Amino acid sequence: MYNDKESQKIVDIIQNFARKHSLFVLAYGTGCGAIEIPPTMTSRYDAERFGIRGAATPRQADVLLITGYLATKTLKRVIRVYEQMQDPKYVMGFGSCAINGGMYWDSYNTINMLDKYIPVDVYINGCMPRPEAVIAGFVKLQKLIQEGKADGWDRYKKNLDEYRANQKKIITNWVMPDFNR
Amino acid sequence: MEGIGYKILGALLTTLLAFTVGMFYAGFRRKIIARIQNRVGPPVYQNFLDVLKLLSKKTSVNHGIMQHLAPLWLITMSVSTLMFIPVLKDGLFFTNLNFSGDLIFLLYIMVFGPLGMALGAGQTGNPNSAIGVSRGLTQMVGFEIPWIMAIVALMIQYKTTSVTGLLDIQSQNGTWMMFSSPLAFIAALLAMPGMFRYAPFDIVGAPAELASGPISEFGGKYLSTMMTSGSIFAFVKLTLYVDLFMGGASNLIELVIKTFALYMYPVLWGAVSPRFRTEQAVRYFWGWPLFFGFAALIYAAF
Amino acid sequence: MSSLVILILIIAGFALLSYFGHSINKTAGNIAVFAAAVLIPLYWFTRVDFSETVSFTISGFQMELGYNMYGKLFSLIVMILSPLALIYALGYMKDSKRTGTFYFSFLFSILGMTGILMSRDFISLFIFWEIMTWSSYLLVIFLGKDVEKTGIRYMVFSALGAYAMFMAIVIIHRNTGSMMLNDYFNAFGNFSTGTKFLTGILLMFGFALKSAVMPVHVWAPGAYSNTPMAYTSVFSGALSKMGVYGLGFVVINLFAHANLHFAGTILAWLGAVTAVLATFSAIFQDDAKKLLAYSSIAQLGYIVTGIGIGTELSIFAGLYLAVLHAAFKGVLFMAAGAVERQAGSTDMTEVTGLIRKMPLTFFASLVAIIALAGVPPLGGFVGKWMLYESLINNGNFLMVIMIFLSSTAAFLYSYKFLFGLFLGQEEPEFENVKEASPLMTIPMLLLSVFLMITGSFPGIVFKYIAEGMTDLGFHDVNWQMSVLTNAWGDSVNLQHVTLSIGVVFVVFLIFLTWKGYKKTYYVSTKDISSSGEVIKPEDNMTYSTDFYKPFERVLHPILKRKIEKYYDEFGEGIGALFDFMRRIYTGNGQTYAFYVIVFLVILLVFSKNIFGY
Repeated sequence: MYNDKESQKIVDIIQNFARKHSLFVLAYGTGCGAIEIPPTMTSRYDAERFGIRGAATPRQADVLLITGYLATKTLKRVIRVYEQMQDPKYVMGFGSCAINGGMYWDSYNTINMLDKYIPVDVYINGCMPRPEAVIAGFVKLQKLIQEGKADGWDRYKKNLDEYRANQKKIITNWVMPDFNR
Repeated sequence: MEGIGYKILGALLTTLLAFTVGMFYAGFRRKIIARIQNRVGPPVYQNFLDVLKLLSKKTSVNHGIMQHLAPLWLITMSVSTLMFIPVLKDGLFFTNLNFSGDLIFLLYIMVFGPLGMALGAGQTGNPNSAIGVSRGLTQMVGFEIPWIMAIVALMIQYKTTSVTGLLDIQSQNGTWMMFSSPLAFIAALLAMPGMFRYAPFDIVGAPAELASGPISEFGGKYLSTMMTSGSIFAFVKLTLYVDLFMGGASNLIELVIKTFALYMYPVLWGAVSPRFRTEQAVRYFWGWPLFFGFAALIYAAF
Repeated sequence: MSSLVILILIIAGFALLSYFGHSINKTAGNIAVFAAAVLIPLYWFTRVDFSETVSFTISGFQMELGYNMYGKLFSLIVMILSPLALIYALGYMKDSKRTGTFYFSFLFSILGMTGILMSRDFISLFIFWEIMTWSSYLLVIFLGKDVEKTGIRYMVFSALGAYAMFMAIVIIHRNTGSMMLNDYFNAFGNFSTGTKFLTGILLMFGFALKSAVMPVHVWAPGAYSNTPMAYTSVFSGALSKMGVYGLGFVVINLFAHANLHFAGTILAWLGAVTAVLATFSAIFQDDAKKLLAYSSIAQLGYIVTGIGIGTELSIFAGLYLAVLHAAFKGVLFMAAGAVERQAGSTDMTEVTGLIRKMPLTFFASLVAIIALAGVPPLGGFVGKWMLYESLINNGNFLMVIMIFLSSTAAFLYSYKFLFGLFLGQEEPEFENVKEASPLMTIPMLLLSVFLMITGSFPGIVFKYIAEGMTDLGFHDVNWQMSVLTNAWGDSVNLQHVTLSIGVVFVVFLIFLTWKGYKKTYYVSTKDISSSGEVIKPEDNMTYSTDFYKPFERVLHPILKRKIEKYYDEFGEGIGALFDFMRRIYTGNGQTYAFYVIVFLVILLVFSKNIFGY
């Protein structure tokens, strides 16, 4: 019964439904986009309608928001936070800076492609994306979760060596604890 | 009627009822606060989804055995307290172990969980958790004093220390204790928001300053167990207040109406309040609530 | 020869044996101590005849030794706790010097306590009392730390208590012509009011001093924390109970023979005040030993309150708490000693994260702390429940509030003790700390098993308490194996409590630990959510300094004044007085000759008045 494929499918559907409608967001304010989070959460746009609420620590969170450009110093912290989150976990990249570096594409201290360092499930374009766009991104993420396609956490585990190699290229003094799963 | 099967069924049913009611109350709370803030708010069943989602997390992390046991202490406390509280006055399934404990026992078993939780939070090594625990225990010393004063006043006035005894007295006299000993009721009511830890007394969890305090290292199945325990415990506290001061309830609808009415008081107060500092909270509890507690004691003794 | 005399001789013999054994070599001494720890209780449990009395007359004073059931109850504490502490000491004192003196004083204090509990007259009571006091004084100054302050404090206060007791004995002898305790109680009703008060208060003062009641508690924190921890478990667990023993029979017999209820009420109030203030002091201690010392004072406050109220249930609660306090405070002092020995310090701001290094010590302390806090389903709850119910039934509502305040605030220091030593981040500094030796852990674990059993079956202790209370004049004391009942007929069924808690606990334990498809990882305490910052191994993030700062801010107005200050000022005043006196003795012969002449002149002038002719 427990390992039965059919019943597992039903369990998956129920679990994905719960995951989809209850997204605890860790708003890690890396760049200028952090200022878009408060209007998204408060009265005007009210993201709590979709079951989206803030989480205080990475242990409780499901979604990591990378709000804007990511400096190389911040990357270390982002990786740390990402690895402390519990599976399944999702990453949303905000704005063009997270996609390709945006206006900082030739800066010496920001990274260009976020997806090379941690797996991103949903990108929201814009510079910066407005709250409507953020909510649209969340809806897209919900759709991916329902379909079981938001599997960044799985990719990260499977391709850990590749991600680590990329991360170590940027972070020269690597003193991070091991990723133990 | 006396079979062990009925007992177990009754216990399961009570736990399920407490869980459901507590979860819906928490959902209503979020909805009401959202409406006050001019938002739409999440659906009322949102907390069920949260618990289910946390339960379906694939991994969990702990820092050692005490952290692993911490949610366990909490839920053990909630469920066993529930077993000793008369949910309905004379229900078939909700009797459980009402006659095996009394009020002093209830007071003591209610700290079993927070203490275990504090130990688990201590083991994580997160400074925020330890600060949260320090604040929480300090606040507990604050609100327990007026609350125990109210309870002792009732006990001295009616010469019984059991909840069922106090319920019987209320149905015999045909009046509720919130009318027959109003001072004790006021003292207990003023101490109540501290027990629920909603604003302005949310100094333990304080997400903005302590990163949710003691629970900051808990995720996945641990957090889900804790949320379950929290909802059961909210129901337990409300039922205890209803039993003591509002004459108990003889059917489930009456129970839900009374507890919900009572629940609105900390929720609505919290919805429009900022947060106290710890010493301000304790000073608040040792101000007017203490005065009313003393008044209740004097009223009861003479 | 009588078994009682043999018992005393055996203890004295073992004391000498372990002293000389240790002066030969350590192994011989340790064997003697181990033999003492096994044989003394063995003899007490199997051979001592509790109905026996021995009486003899020395220079006209009749002396009598013999157990009553009340003394037997306290002997039970001594005879169970002391051997465990002796075995613990074998591990604890392994590397110390002068162990001969230590064990000699240790066994002599056991001798003193055993003697007190079988004395039936004031003379032998006083002799054994002094043996106990002096041997414990030798242990207080054993480590040589802070002798000037704590040693002298302990000695001065003990001497005060002894003088008070001696005065009372002299007055009693003048009034009754007998030294027997029973004669005193029987004659008490016929005393003049002044004598009643004087003897009662003086005796109570002597006993209350040993049980560290509020105005005369100042010796206790220093003495408890400066003694080697192996002895402190007995010091706080059993020796301080001698004061409770004395208070119990004095207070209750005075109630029975003369209506002096207000004296008991005053005592109860002193106990309640002690409990509250000592708890507040304990909360702000950073040294675990000091914390436990203050906590002992607070717990003794509960016991004294229970005894002072003087109803059946309250005395029952007081005696039960006395037994339980011996067990859990024994464990806690032993645990503090184990931490001190293994980790080198008991400063809670320094030592952190020993839980995975010393799991057995942690487990024993956890059980003891739960019992101390009075949380069901462990034994401490039973005592707390009975105390509250007796106070409520008696209508002492203000005292209930004070005791409740004290025991709620006790959660604060209980948590601080466990958190400070065992929880928090694990530091590389304490990486090589090992669990204490089995000699130290086994006594702790045995006592914690006792605490767990009393949670559901307190009847095993109730039996002896009920027997003891018949000697205090309470007949047909009601007790059941695991049901508590108060005077209004409300009850708690402890088996239901344990069953309910146990079942729920096991169900959710299986739920949480069942592997299933979820993976549970252990991560080190350096891997915490700290805004993504990587914590280096040497960074200590534990929050343990000023742990209860908010509470301190709340209590600041109360805690500003410390009673020690008044004693210190008094001591300074006395010092100044004697400094003046010293000037009289100039060391010059002529001055002394002058004094003699002045004295003779005074004699001559007042001779008629003085000599009567």
